[in-house]
Amino acid sequence: MTPLVDVIMLLLTFFMLTATFRAAESEAVEVALPQSVYSDPDNKMKEIDVMTLSLTKDGDIFLDVDNYKIREKIFGDQFAIGLFRPDTLTQSPVQTTGKVGGKEVKRKVYLMNKAQFEKTLVDVKTALKTVSGNKSAQFQVVVKGDKEVPYGVFEDLMTSLHESDNKVFSLVTLIKSEVKE
Amino acid sequence: MAGGGGLEAPEVSGGKGSKKYLKKGRGVHIDMTPMVDVIMLLLTFFMLTTTLSAPQLMKVSLPKGDVKDKVKVDMGNVLYVRVSDKGNVYFAQGNPDGSESAMKRIEIKNVATELEKIFAVNDQLLLLLKFDRKMKYNVMSDVFDEISRAKIEKRYAFIKMEDVDLQKIIEAGG
Repeated sequence: MTPLVDVIMLLLTFFMLTATFRAAESEAVEVALPQSVYSDPDNKMKEIDVMTLSLTKDGDIFLDVDNYKIREKIFGDQFAIGLFRPDTLTQSPVQTTGKVGGKEVKRKVYLMNKAQFEKTLVDVKTALKTVSGNKSAQFQVVVKGDKEVPYGVFEDLMTSLHESDNKVFSLVTLIKSEVKE
Repeated sequence: MAGGGGLEAPEVSGGKGSKKYLKKGRGVHIDMTPMVDVIMLLLTFFMLTTTLSAPQLMKVSLPKGDVKDKVKVDMGNVLYVRVSDKGNVYFAQGNPDGSESAMKRIEIKNVATELEKIFAVNDQLLLLLKFDRKMKYNVMSDVFDEISRAKIEKRYAFIKMEDVDLQKIIEAGG
């Protein structure tokens, strides 16, 4: 019994030390991230003040902020999530079925058009400065794109980001272990 | 007295001592099952809540200034990178007179090495990235990954794909 307990204790210590918790509410929209080999040692994901733009397979852009106070200020609800669909000719499946990739979106969806989306991008930035009381507070803008999403959606997002003065952002990818020959 | 005490005392204390030794040392058994149960629960909890594959970030910088601003570039110092909706990558080098060399198809996995070769000749090149709107996002992240991996000064611009470019791609094989 004692050796078994020893091993379990070691495992427990390992998992306790390496654990990084994911907030359940941040998983509102799940996307299949692409993989990349190159890793930038100077560019790491921040723990707070992150603005996440998720591009789903259906061509929707979800805007989320990790600070609930800002969400309440912008969307009027602590758990709301912004939605912008660049393609105005079709309707987002979230509107009709309430699901993204077969998974129900539990958070309240706040639909925006292009002008509202760009205004929100600016508002979110100013909201951070007032909420945190730090005038130089900056958001880290990360884009989580689904592997399958057409590039056009990303192109429209880039235009909006440029218009709203978010000129530096990061694409989230997963580490690809094997190096291509 | 001392001798008698010395004889008696060890007997008594020895007898008591051996009894204690038996009780605490060999006979006492601690039931570890509840502890193991709790540890197992904790272990399961941490194993399920942890995310081991930390996501990594690729930085993208858009040019400063307004979208409508026109930037003059030396057409002899540009490299067109066009990607079709199927994910085929084509390179074409610009000439000073505004024309460009014939398009050359590059396998995605060779983009980094090809870029290094081209930049070894001319390191002042500006990459003009033209992606098809119907192309999949992961092709773009792959191309971006290759550009990051190439040991070159990263200067690039995203340019809207025009009908002329689409025509060129179709002529080159789609």
